[in-house]
Amino acid sequence: MRRPNAIQKDTEEITTVRDLTGVFESLATTQIAKVKSKVEMSKEFFNLLWGKYSQIRFDPDSRLTGRQTVDNGRNVFVMISAEAGLSGDIDQRLVETVLSDYNPKTTDIIVLGSHGAQQLLQRGITYKRYFRVPESDRYIDVSPVITAIQPYHQAKVYYEEYVSLGVQGIKTIDLIQTIQAMSEEASDSEDIISEKDTIFEPSLEEIAGIMETAMMSLAFSQVILESGLAQEASRFNAMSVSKDRATELVRLYNMEYHRAKRSENDRRMREVIISLKRKRRVNSYVK
Amino acid sequence: MNNATLLKVQARAPFELYFAGEALSVSATNKVGRFDILPGHADFFSVINPDSDIVIGTDKEDININVSNGIVCAKDDEVLLFLNI
Repeated sequence: MRRPNAIQKDTEEITTVRDLTGVFESLATTQIAKVKSKVEMSKEFFNLLWGKYSQIRFDPDSRLTGRQTVDNGRNVFVMISAEAGLSGDIDQRLVETVLSDYNPKTTDIIVLGSHGAQQLLQRGITYKRYFRVPESDRYIDVSPVITAIQPYHQAKVYYEEYVSLGVQGIKTIDLIQTIQAMSEEASDSEDIISEKDTIFEPSLEEIAGIMETAMMSLAFSQVILESGLAQEASRFNAMSVSKDRATELVRLYNMEYHRAKRSENDRRMREVIISLKRKRRVNSYVK
Repeated sequence: MNNATLLKVQARAPFELYFAGEALSVSATNKVGRFDILPGHADFFSVINPDSDIVIGTDKEDININVSNGIVCAKDDEVLLFLNI
């Protein structure tokens, strides 16, 4: 049996781990609430922007055509992973999904997040570009990523989807199709804005192009947010499991400590009784 | 104050609502230069200069917003500012 002092030391260490995982768990919960509210705000923003865009691009066939001017004939997979570890196994599942569809002859990989980049390199897969996951409370700048994917024929985004706190999946989307899907939720305005009755500075075409890029950035930002939400949820789950395990260990160590302490007390008591008996025996011989 | 002399303004970024309410004026900068939108302004669509200031004048105070970029749409005394896009 281990000595009580050694058990007490282990218990203190595990208690620290339990407290730390508890803090991580609370942080993940706060982050989840924050990201959810951001997603809602960005949806409202998209609906307003789409409303104005549909007023100047009133012919549906002329909408979202800006990307078709450049095409290098290759496809690109954009993989959005976590920037750091401690997010459970979700990045591993993401990499496995990407690699199951990946053909290096036709497709390049652009990776966001150092954790995913590391996992690709460990598997001997080289990626075309790496970006840090853009992160800010007020402004997510995805323009470098949008610029990088614009020359490609098709851009598929692989990311971690938040289904619920307990369930996170891997999702694949085409950015242009996503914007079209988002626009179906937003209503087209019946008003038409044309150059006849409105002043455009610099020009209608340029403004429409900027709005298209903005909507693509917005769709991509939402994907990044959702991915972050899934990572936080995965982290929350991993931390919950660790906290439960640490709590269980603390309970077991406490029991072991009390047993060891009682056993030590019993041993000392036996030693005292034996020495008393010896002393009595010696005294009786002397008499 | 008579509502006919006011603009209905919304200034939003994708993840932030900067201002929503009535204002006396909206000032910003585009390629042509500094411009002001006042009640009765012609319908107007413009790209706002990168890293510039927008001033929303209300009857209480002027609200200054520094933006990385944006678009302003003004129609029938309603002004929508899409910022940091």
